[in-house]
Amino acid sequence: MPILEVKNLKKCFDKTDILKGISFDLEKGQTLSILGSSGSGKTTLLRCLNFLEKPDAGEIVVNGETIFDRAKPVTEAQIKSNRLHFGMVFQQFNLFPQYTALENVVLAPKLMASADKYPEIIEMGKNLLNKMGLSDRMNNYPHQLSGGQQQRVAIARALAMSPDILCFDEPTSALDPELTGEVLKVIKELAIGNTTMIIVTHEIGFAHDVSDQIIFMDDGVIADRGTPAQVIDNPSNPRTRQFLSNYHS
Amino acid sequence: MFFTVTMSLLEGFLGTLKLFILTLVLSLPLGLFISLGSMNKNIMVKGPIRFIIWVVRGTPLMLQLLIIYYGPGIFFGVPLWGGGTDGRFMAALFAFVFNYACYFSEIFRGGIQSIPVGQYEAAAVLGMDKKQTFFKIILLQVVKRIVPPISNEVITLVKDTSLARVIAVYEIIWNGQSFIKSSGIIWPLFYTGVFYLLFSGLLTLLFSYIEKRLDYFR
Ligand SMILES: Nc1ncnc2c1ncn2[C@@H]1O[C@H](COP(=O)(O)OP(=O)(O)OP(=O)(O)O)[C@@H](O)[C@H]1O
Ligand SMILES: [Mg+2]
Repeated sequence: MPILEVKNLKKCFDKTDILKGISFDLEKGQTLSILGSSGSGKTTLLRCLNFLEKPDAGEIVVNGETIFDRAKPVTEAQIKSNRLHFGMVFQQFNLFPQYTALENVVLAPKLMASADKYPEIIEMGKNLLNKMGLSDRMNNYPHQLSGGQQQRVAIARALAMSPDILCFDEPTSALDPELTGEVLKVIKELAIGNTTMIIVTHEIGFAHDVSDQIIFMDDGVIADRGTPAQVIDNPSNPRTRQFLSNYHS
Repeated sequence: MFFTVTMSLLEGFLGTLKLFILTLVLSLPLGLFISLGSMNKNIMVKGPIRFIIWVVRGTPLMLQLLIIYYGPGIFFGVPLWGGGTDGRFMAALFAFVFNYACYFSEIFRGGIQSIPVGQYEAAAVLGMDKKQTFFKIILLQVVKRIVPPISNEVITLVKDTSLARVIAVYEIIWNGQSFIKSSGIIWPLFYTGVFYLLFSGLLTLLFSYIEKRLDYFR
Protein backbone atom coordinates (compact mmCIF):
# COMPACT_ATOMS: atom_id res chain seq x y z
CA MET A 1 0.00 0.00 0.00
CA PRO A 2 1.41 3.43 -0.91
CA ILE A 3 2.07 5.81 1.97
CA LEU A 4 0.42 8.61 -0.01
CA GLU A 5 -2.32 8.60 -2.61
CA VAL A 6 -3.46 11.84 -4.17
CA LYS A 7 -6.62 11.52 -6.21
CA ASN A 8 -7.86 14.08 -8.71
CA LEU A 9 -6.83 17.11 -6.66
CA LYS A 10 -8.16 20.42 -7.99
CA LYS A 11 -7.62 23.99 -6.91
CA CYS A 12 -8.62 27.27 -8.46
CA PHE A 13 -7.79 30.87 -7.50
CA ASP A 14 -10.13 33.64 -8.64
CA LYS A 15 -11.86 31.32 -11.11
CA THR A 16 -8.54 30.31 -12.73
CA ASP A 17 -7.83 26.60 -12.50
CA ILE A 18 -4.35 26.18 -11.04
CA LEU A 19 -4.46 22.44 -10.28
CA LYS A 20 -6.60 20.62 -12.82
CA GLY A 21 -6.86 17.15 -11.36
CA ILE A 22 -3.61 15.86 -9.93
CA SER A 23 -3.29 12.15 -9.15
CA PHE A 24 -0.21 10.24 -8.09
CA ASP A 25 0.99 7.97 -5.35
CA LEU A 26 4.17 7.51 -3.41
CA GLU A 27 5.64 4.47 -1.68
CA LYS A 28 7.06 4.65 1.82
CA GLY A 29 10.74 5.57 1.90
CA GLN A 30 10.76 6.91 -1.63
CA THR A 31 11.69 10.32 -2.93
CA LEU A 32 9.50 12.12 -5.42
CA SER A 33 10.75 15.22 -7.20
CA ILE A 34 8.41 17.64 -8.90
CA LEU A 35 9.74 19.66 -11.82
CA GLY A 36 7.94 22.21 -13.92
CA SER A 37 8.06 25.75 -15.14
CA SER A 38 7.14 28.74 -13.03
CA GLY A 39 3.42 29.02 -12.38
CA SER A 40 2.69 25.39 -13.20
CA GLY A 41 1.23 24.83 -9.72
CA LYS A 42 4.02 23.04 -7.85
CA THR A 43 3.86 25.24 -4.74
CA THR A 44 0.08 25.13 -4.76
CA LEU A 45 0.20 21.33 -4.76
CA LEU A 46 2.52 21.20 -1.72
CA ARG A 47 0.39 23.81 0.07
CA CYS A 48 -2.71 21.69 -0.49
CA LEU A 49 -0.97 18.65 1.01
CA ASN A 50 -0.07 20.74 4.09
CA PHE A 51 -3.57 22.21 4.36
CA LEU A 52 -2.26 25.72 3.81
CA GLU A 53 -4.73 25.81 0.91
CA LYS A 54 -8.01 24.02 0.76
CA PRO A 55 -8.41 21.95 -2.41
CA ASP A 56 -11.64 22.44 -4.35
CA ALA A 57 -11.92 18.76 -5.20
CA GLY A 58 -10.12 15.49 -4.71
CA GLU A 59 -8.84 13.21 -2.02
CA ILE A 60 -5.64 12.80 -0.01
CA VAL A 61 -5.04 9.36 1.49
CA VAL A 62 -2.17 8.64 3.87
CA ASN A 63 -1.44 5.05 4.92
CA GLY A 64 -4.84 4.03 3.62
CA GLU A 65 -6.59 6.64 5.75
CA THR A 66 -8.45 9.39 3.92
CA ILE A 67 -7.25 12.62 5.53
CA PHE A 68 -8.89 14.91 3.05
CA ASP A 69 -11.98 14.38 0.98
CA ARG A 70 -13.66 17.43 -0.44
CA ALA A 71 -16.96 15.54 -0.33
CA LYS A 72 -16.64 15.08 3.44
CA PRO A 73 -15.72 18.32 5.22
CA VAL A 74 -13.51 18.12 8.30
CA THR A 75 -13.26 20.21 11.46
CA GLU A 76 -10.46 22.62 12.37
CA ALA A 77 -9.17 20.13 14.98
CA GLN A 78 -9.01 17.31 12.42
CA ILE A 79 -7.06 19.53 10.02
CA LYS A 80 -4.63 20.27 12.82
CA SER A 81 -3.92 16.59 13.47
CA ASN A 82 -4.10 15.54 9.79
CA ARG A 83 -1.53 18.06 8.64
CA LEU A 84 1.02 16.46 10.97
CA HIS A 85 1.30 13.63 8.45
CA PHE A 86 3.23 16.17 6.39
CA GLY A 87 6.25 18.31 7.13
CA MET A 88 7.13 21.39 5.15
CA VAL A 89 10.41 23.10 4.36
CA PHE A 90 9.89 26.52 2.83
CA GLN A 91 11.91 28.36 0.23
CA GLN A 92 12.37 31.28 2.66
CA PHE A 93 13.17 29.01 5.69
CA ASN A 94 10.64 30.84 7.92
CA LEU A 95 12.58 30.18 11.11
CA PHE A 96 11.27 31.88 14.26
CA PRO A 97 13.75 34.74 14.80
CA GLN A 98 13.35 35.00 18.58
CA TYR A 99 14.37 31.39 19.18
CA THR A 100 17.77 29.72 18.89
CA ALA A 101 18.35 26.94 16.38
CA LEU A 102 17.66 24.32 19.05
CA GLU A 103 14.58 26.13 20.35
CA ASN A 104 13.21 26.35 16.81
CA VAL A 105 13.52 22.58 16.52
CA VAL A 106 12.02 21.64 19.89
CA LEU A 107 9.33 24.32 20.27
CA ALA A 108 6.47 22.53 18.53
CA PRO A 109 7.23 19.03 19.91
CA LYS A 110 7.35 20.50 23.44
CA LEU A 111 3.98 22.18 22.96
CA MET A 112 2.47 18.75 22.28
CA ALA A 113 4.15 16.90 25.15
CA SER A 114 4.03 16.95 28.92
CA ALA A 115 6.91 18.50 30.84
CA ASP A 116 8.48 15.18 31.80
CA LYS A 117 9.13 14.50 28.10
CA TYR A 118 11.12 17.72 27.61
CA PRO A 119 14.60 16.23 28.26
CA GLU A 120 13.94 13.53 25.65
CA ILE A 121 12.71 16.10 23.16
CA ILE A 122 15.75 18.30 23.66
CA GLU A 123 17.99 15.27 23.21
CA MET A 124 16.19 14.48 19.95
CA GLY A 125 16.55 18.10 18.82
CA LYS A 126 20.29 18.02 19.45
CA ASN A 127 20.62 14.74 17.54
CA LEU A 128 18.75 16.16 14.57
CA LEU A 129 20.93 19.28 14.49
CA ASN A 130 24.02 17.06 14.74
CA LYS A 131 22.79 15.13 11.74
CA MET A 132 22.41 18.43 9.90
CA GLY A 133 26.05 19.26 10.71
CA LEU A 134 25.07 22.05 13.10
CA SER A 135 26.36 20.75 16.43
CA ASP A 136 28.29 24.00 17.04
CA ARG A 137 25.37 26.23 16.02
CA MET A 138 22.58 25.03 18.32
CA ASN A 139 22.49 28.12 20.47
CA ASN A 140 22.74 30.66 17.67
CA TYR A 141 19.78 32.77 16.63
CA PRO A 142 18.64 32.58 13.00
CA HIS A 143 20.13 35.98 12.10
CA GLN A 144 23.52 34.66 13.21
CA LEU A 145 23.36 31.79 10.71
CA SER A 146 24.04 31.64 6.97
CA GLY A 147 21.16 30.86 4.63
CA GLY A 148 22.36 27.30 4.21
CA GLN A 149 22.57 26.82 7.97
CA GLN A 150 19.12 28.34 8.44
CA GLN A 151 17.64 25.98 5.89
CA ARG A 152 19.25 23.01 7.64
CA VAL A 153 17.71 24.15 10.93
CA ALA A 154 14.38 24.34 9.13
CA ILE A 155 14.82 20.77 7.90
CA ALA A 156 15.63 19.60 11.45
CA ARG A 157 12.58 21.48 12.71
CA ALA A 158 10.34 19.69 10.22
CA LEU A 159 11.90 16.30 11.02
CA ALA A 160 11.35 16.83 14.74
CA MET A 161 7.62 16.35 14.21
CA SER A 162 8.33 12.92 12.63
CA PRO A 163 6.11 13.50 9.61
CA ASP A 164 5.20 10.59 7.34
CA ILE A 165 6.09 12.68 4.31
CA LEU A 166 8.48 15.63 4.24
CA CYS A 167 7.81 18.28 1.60
CA PHE A 168 10.37 20.75 0.27
CA ASP A 169 9.42 23.80 -1.79
CA GLU A 170 12.52 24.86 -3.71
CA PRO A 171 14.70 24.47 -0.61
CA THR A 172 17.78 25.98 -2.26
CA SER A 173 16.28 28.71 -4.44
CA ALA A 174 16.93 31.45 -1.88
CA LEU A 175 20.55 30.38 -1.42
CA ASP A 176 23.81 31.47 -3.00
CA PRO A 177 25.23 28.72 -5.24
CA GLU A 178 28.01 27.93 -2.77
CA LEU A 179 25.46 27.26 -0.01
CA THR A 180 23.18 25.15 -2.19
CA GLY A 181 25.48 22.15 -1.98
CA GLU A 182 25.41 21.80 1.79
CA VAL A 183 21.61 21.72 1.82
CA LEU A 184 21.34 19.29 -1.08
CA LYS A 185 23.82 17.07 0.73
CA VAL A 186 21.64 16.69 3.83
CA ILE A 187 18.56 16.08 1.69
CA LYS A 188 20.45 13.38 -0.14
CA GLU A 189 21.41 11.77 3.16
CA LEU A 190 17.73 11.77 4.13
CA ALA A 191 16.90 10.06 0.84
CA ILE A 192 19.52 7.41 1.50
CA GLY A 193 18.09 7.01 5.02
CA ASN A 194 14.67 6.27 3.46
CA THR A 195 12.82 9.41 4.52
CA THR A 196 9.70 9.74 2.40
CA MET A 197 10.01 13.05 0.58
CA ILE A 198 8.39 15.25 -2.02
CA ILE A 199 10.82 17.82 -3.39
CA VAL A 200 9.88 20.70 -5.65
CA THR A 201 13.14 21.78 -7.22
CA HIS A 202 14.81 23.37 -10.21
CA GLU A 203 18.02 21.38 -9.52
CA ILE A 204 17.44 18.82 -12.24
CA GLY A 205 20.75 17.00 -11.79
CA PHE A 206 20.04 16.64 -8.09
CA ALA A 207 16.50 15.40 -8.74
CA HIS A 208 17.86 12.83 -11.17
CA ASP A 209 20.35 11.74 -8.56
CA VAL A 210 18.11 11.25 -5.50
CA SER A 211 14.62 10.55 -6.84
CA ASP A 212 12.77 7.30 -7.23
CA GLN A 213 10.03 9.07 -9.08
CA ILE A 214 9.82 12.31 -11.08
CA ILE A 215 6.70 14.28 -11.89
CA PHE A 216 6.80 16.97 -14.51
CA MET A 217 4.00 19.49 -14.05
CA ASP A 218 2.76 21.76 -16.76
CA ASP A 219 -0.08 24.22 -16.45
CA GLY A 220 -1.79 22.47 -13.53
CA VAL A 221 -1.58 18.92 -14.82
CA ILE A 222 0.95 16.11 -14.55
CA ALA A 223 2.45 16.07 -18.03
CA ASP A 224 4.98 13.36 -17.36
CA ARG A 225 5.62 10.88 -14.61
CA GLY A 226 8.10 8.07 -14.12
CA THR A 227 11.60 7.19 -13.04
CA PRO A 228 14.39 9.73 -13.57
CA ALA A 229 15.59 7.60 -16.46
CA GLN A 230 12.19 7.83 -18.12
CA VAL A 231 11.31 11.47 -17.47
CA ILE A 232 14.69 13.19 -17.50
CA ASP A 233 16.83 11.03 -19.76
CA ASN A 234 14.19 10.04 -22.30
CA PRO A 235 11.27 12.48 -22.04
CA SER A 236 8.44 11.43 -24.31
CA ASN A 237 6.28 14.50 -23.74
CA PRO A 238 7.25 17.44 -26.00
CA ARG A 239 6.70 19.95 -23.15
CA THR A 240 9.05 18.00 -20.89
CA ARG A 241 11.63 17.83 -23.66
CA GLN A 242 11.38 21.58 -24.18
CA PHE A 243 11.66 22.25 -20.42
CA LEU A 244 14.73 20.03 -20.16
CA SER A 245 16.41 21.29 -23.31
CA ASN A 246 18.61 23.68 -21.35
CA TYR A 247 19.62 20.92 -18.97
CA HIS A 248 20.51 18.49 -21.72
CA SER A 249 22.48 20.94 -23.82
CA MET B 1 10.39 81.33 47.29
CA PHE B 2 12.20 78.70 45.28
CA PHE B 3 11.11 76.05 47.73
CA THR B 4 7.46 77.20 47.68
CA VAL B 5 7.43 77.21 43.89
CA THR B 6 9.05 73.78 43.69
CA MET B 7 6.51 72.29 46.10
CA SER B 8 3.64 73.84 44.18
CA LEU B 9 4.97 72.60 40.85
CA LEU B 10 5.52 69.15 42.30
CA GLU B 11 1.90 69.11 43.35
CA GLY B 12 0.87 70.19 39.86
CA PHE B 13 3.11 67.51 38.43
CA LEU B 14 1.16 64.91 40.39
CA GLY B 15 -1.90 65.98 38.39
CA THR B 16 0.11 65.62 35.18
CA LEU B 17 1.35 62.21 36.27
CA LYS B 18 -2.12 61.00 37.20
CA LEU B 19 -3.49 61.92 33.77
CA PHE B 20 -0.43 60.40 32.08
CA ILE B 21 -0.56 57.06 33.88
CA LEU B 22 -4.31 56.58 33.67
CA THR B 23 -4.28 57.46 29.97
CA LEU B 24 -1.56 54.90 29.27
CA VAL B 25 -3.10 52.12 31.32
CA LEU B 26 -6.47 52.53 29.63
CA SER B 27 -5.51 53.47 26.08
CA LEU B 28 -3.03 50.65 25.44
CA PRO B 29 -5.56 47.82 25.85
CA LEU B 30 -8.29 49.88 24.17
CA GLY B 31 -5.89 50.52 21.31
CA LEU B 32 -5.23 46.79 20.88
CA PHE B 33 -8.98 46.21 20.80
CA ILE B 34 -9.50 48.96 18.21
CA SER B 35 -6.63 47.62 16.08
CA LEU B 36 -8.25 44.17 15.98
CA GLY B 37 -11.49 45.84 14.85
CA SER B 38 -9.67 47.84 12.19
CA MET B 39 -8.25 44.57 10.78
CA ASN B 40 -11.61 42.78 10.79
CA LYS B 41 -12.52 41.18 7.46
CA ASN B 42 -16.07 42.53 7.68
CA ILE B 43 -16.26 45.99 6.14
CA MET B 44 -19.20 46.84 8.44
CA VAL B 45 -16.84 46.52 11.40
CA LYS B 46 -13.65 47.78 9.81
CA GLY B 47 -15.26 50.73 7.98
CA PRO B 48 -16.71 52.65 10.95
CA ILE B 49 -13.61 51.99 13.06
CA ARG B 50 -11.25 53.29 10.38
CA PHE B 51 -13.54 56.32 10.00
CA ILE B 52 -13.37 57.10 13.72
CA ILE B 53 -9.58 56.70 13.71
CA TRP B 54 -9.39 59.10 10.80
CA VAL B 55 -11.50 61.72 12.61
CA VAL B 56 -9.60 61.39 15.88
CA ARG B 57 -6.18 61.53 14.25
CA GLY B 58 -7.25 64.26 11.86
CA THR B 59 -8.36 66.84 14.42
CA PRO B 60 -6.46 68.61 17.22
CA LEU B 61 -6.62 67.02 20.64
CA MET B 62 -7.38 70.44 22.13
CA LEU B 63 -10.53 70.65 20.03
CA GLN B 64 -11.52 67.13 21.10
CA LEU B 65 -11.12 68.12 24.75
CA LEU B 66 -13.42 71.12 24.31
CA ILE B 67 -16.03 69.16 22.34
CA ILE B 68 -16.07 66.27 24.80
CA TYR B 69 -16.33 68.57 27.80
CA TYR B 70 -18.78 71.17 26.52
CA GLY B 71 -20.50 69.14 23.76
CA PRO B 72 -23.00 67.17 25.83
CA GLY B 73 -24.29 70.32 27.54
CA ILE B 74 -24.43 72.48 24.41
CA PHE B 75 -25.85 69.97 21.95
CA PHE B 76 -28.01 67.77 24.17
CA GLY B 77 -28.64 69.95 27.21
CA VAL B 78 -26.97 67.29 29.36
CA PRO B 79 -23.85 68.64 31.11
CA LEU B 80 -22.53 65.12 31.43
CA TRP B 81 -19.34 65.87 33.31
CA GLY B 82 -20.59 68.41 35.84
CA GLY B 83 -18.57 71.53 36.62
CA GLY B 84 -16.42 70.12 39.44
CA THR B 85 -12.74 69.24 39.45
CA ASP B 86 -13.46 65.53 39.20
CA GLY B 87 -15.86 65.96 36.31
CA ARG B 88 -13.35 68.01 34.36
CA PHE B 89 -10.65 65.46 35.03
CA MET B 90 -12.92 62.64 33.85
CA ALA B 91 -13.73 64.52 30.65
CA ALA B 92 -10.04 65.14 30.01
CA LEU B 93 -9.18 61.50 30.73
CA PHE B 94 -11.91 60.34 28.36
CA ALA B 95 -10.58 62.56 25.58
CA PHE B 96 -6.96 61.49 26.13
CA VAL B 97 -7.74 57.79 26.32
CA PHE B 98 -9.82 57.88 23.16
CA ASN B 99 -7.27 59.95 21.27
CA TYR B 100 -4.25 57.89 22.28
CA ALA B 101 -6.05 54.57 21.80
CA CYS B 102 -6.58 55.54 18.16
CA TYR B 103 -2.90 56.37 17.68
CA PHE B 104 -1.81 53.18 19.46
CA SER B 105 -4.25 51.10 17.42
CA GLU B 106 -2.53 52.19 14.22
CA ILE B 107 0.85 51.27 15.69
CA PHE B 108 -0.46 47.84 16.74
CA ARG B 109 -2.02 47.30 13.32
CA GLY B 110 1.23 48.20 11.60
CA GLY B 111 3.15 45.88 13.91
CA ILE B 112 0.83 42.93 13.50
CA GLN B 113 0.55 43.32 9.73
CA SER B 114 4.31 43.60 9.32
CA ILE B 115 4.85 40.01 10.49
CA PRO B 116 5.50 37.91 7.38
CA VAL B 117 2.76 35.41 6.57
CA GLY B 118 5.50 32.73 6.47
CA GLN B 119 5.70 32.90 10.27
CA TYR B 120 2.03 31.92 10.58
CA GLU B 121 2.43 29.20 7.96
CA ALA B 122 5.54 27.73 9.59
CA ALA B 123 3.68 27.57 12.90
CA ALA B 124 0.62 26.02 11.25
CA VAL B 125 2.52 23.20 9.53
CA LEU B 126 4.13 22.40 12.88
CA GLY B 127 0.66 21.82 14.27
CA MET B 128 0.33 24.94 16.39
CA ASP B 129 -3.14 26.38 16.90
CA LYS B 130 -4.04 30.07 16.60
CA LYS B 131 -3.46 30.80 20.27
CA GLN B 132 -0.07 29.10 20.40
CA THR B 133 0.95 30.84 17.18
CA PHE B 134 0.03 34.26 18.53
CA PHE B 135 1.56 33.90 21.98
CA LYS B 136 4.63 31.78 21.14
CA ILE B 137 5.56 33.18 17.73
CA ILE B 138 3.89 36.46 16.80
CA LEU B 139 3.54 38.52 19.98
CA LEU B 140 7.21 39.07 20.81
CA GLN B 141 8.03 39.95 17.20
CA VAL B 142 5.23 42.52 17.24
CA VAL B 143 6.40 43.95 20.57
CA LYS B 144 9.91 44.34 19.22
CA ARG B 145 8.65 46.26 16.20
CA ILE B 146 6.31 48.58 18.06
CA VAL B 147 8.54 49.61 20.96
CA PRO B 148 10.15 52.56 19.09
CA PRO B 149 6.88 54.10 17.78
CA ILE B 150 5.12 53.47 21.11
CA SER B 151 7.98 55.17 22.91
CA ASN B 152 7.51 58.22 20.66
CA GLU B 153 3.82 58.42 21.45
CA VAL B 154 4.38 58.01 25.17
CA ILE B 155 6.83 60.89 25.27
CA THR B 156 4.43 63.02 23.25
CA LEU B 157 1.75 62.16 25.80
CA VAL B 158 3.88 63.56 28.63
CA LYS B 159 3.80 66.94 26.95
CA ASP B 160 0.24 66.68 25.63
CA THR B 161 -1.14 66.43 29.17
CA SER B 162 -0.67 70.20 29.38
CA LEU B 163 -3.54 70.56 26.90
CA ALA B 164 -5.96 69.53 29.65
CA ARG B 165 -5.59 73.06 30.90
CA VAL B 166 -8.16 74.26 28.32
CA ILE B 167 -10.90 72.70 30.39
CA ALA B 168 -9.30 73.82 33.66
CA VAL B 169 -7.77 70.53 34.72
CA TYR B 170 -5.00 71.19 37.24
CA GLU B 171 -1.59 70.14 36.08
CA ILE B 172 1.89 71.53 36.35
CA ILE B 173 1.66 74.39 33.82
CA TRP B 174 -1.53 75.59 35.46
CA ASN B 175 0.31 75.82 38.75
CA GLY B 176 3.33 77.51 37.17
CA GLN B 177 1.17 80.07 35.47
CA SER B 178 -0.70 80.92 38.65
CA PHE B 179 2.46 82.58 40.03
CA ILE B 180 2.21 85.26 37.33
CA LYS B 181 -1.08 86.44 38.78
CA SER B 182 -0.35 85.87 42.46
CA SER B 183 3.28 87.01 42.72
CA GLY B 184 4.03 88.70 39.40
CA ILE B 185 6.86 86.28 38.54
CA ILE B 186 7.15 84.29 35.32
CA TRP B 187 10.13 82.02 36.05
CA PRO B 188 8.00 79.32 37.74
CA LEU B 189 6.28 78.79 34.40
CA PHE B 190 9.63 78.30 32.66
CA TYR B 191 10.79 76.12 35.52
CA THR B 192 8.03 73.58 34.70
CA GLY B 193 10.12 72.63 31.64
CA VAL B 194 12.68 71.02 33.94
CA PHE B 195 10.04 68.63 35.26
CA TYR B 196 8.99 67.62 31.75
CA LEU B 197 12.61 67.16 30.72
CA LEU B 198 13.52 65.00 33.69
CA PHE B 199 10.44 62.83 33.30
CA SER B 200 10.81 62.31 29.57
CA GLY B 201 14.49 61.60 30.12
CA LEU B 202 13.51 58.85 32.54
CA LEU B 203 11.08 57.38 30.02
CA THR B 204 13.69 57.50 27.27
CA LEU B 205 16.03 55.49 29.46
CA LEU B 206 13.31 52.99 30.22
CA PHE B 207 12.43 52.48 26.56
CA SER B 208 16.02 52.16 25.43
CA TYR B 209 16.46 49.51 28.12
CA ILE B 210 13.47 47.60 26.72
CA GLU B 211 14.83 47.96 23.17
CA LYS B 212 18.19 46.59 24.32
CA ARG B 213 16.54 43.64 25.99
CA LEU B 214 14.88 42.78 22.66
CA ASP B 215 18.08 43.26 20.70
CA TYR B 216 19.04 39.58 20.75
CA PHE B 217 16.96 38.72 17.68
CA ARG B 218 16.05 40.33 14.39
N1 LIG C 1 -3.09 32.78 -3.20
C1 LIG C 1 -3.17 32.90 -4.54
N2 LIG C 1 -4.11 33.69 -5.09
C2 LIG C 1 -4.22 33.79 -6.45
N3 LIG C 1 -3.44 33.14 -7.31
C3 LIG C 1 -2.47 32.34 -6.82
C4 LIG C 1 -2.30 32.18 -5.42
N4 LIG C 1 -1.26 31.33 -5.21
C5 LIG C 1 -0.82 30.99 -6.45
N5 LIG C 1 -1.54 31.59 -7.41
C6 LIG C 1 -1.35 31.42 -8.86
O1 LIG C 1 -1.30 30.05 -9.12
C7 LIG C 1 -0.37 29.76 -10.16
C8 LIG C 1 0.55 28.65 -9.71
O2 LIG C 1 1.34 29.13 -8.65
P1 LIG C 1 2.41 28.24 -7.91
O3 LIG C 1 3.03 29.10 -6.89
O4 LIG C 1 1.77 26.98 -7.45
O5 LIG C 1 3.43 27.91 -9.09
P2 LIG C 1 4.85 27.22 -9.00
O6 LIG C 1 4.79 26.07 -9.93
O7 LIG C 1 5.20 26.94 -7.59
O8 LIG C 1 5.80 28.35 -9.60
P3 LIG C 1 7.29 28.77 -9.19
O9 LIG C 1 8.22 27.81 -9.90
O10 LIG C 1 7.43 30.15 -9.72
O11 LIG C 1 7.40 28.70 -7.71
C9 LIG C 1 0.33 31.06 -10.48
O12 LIG C 1 -0.21 31.57 -11.68
C10 LIG C 1 -0.01 31.96 -9.33
O13 LIG C 1 -0.12 33.28 -9.75
MG1 LIG D 1 6.65 27.71 -6.25
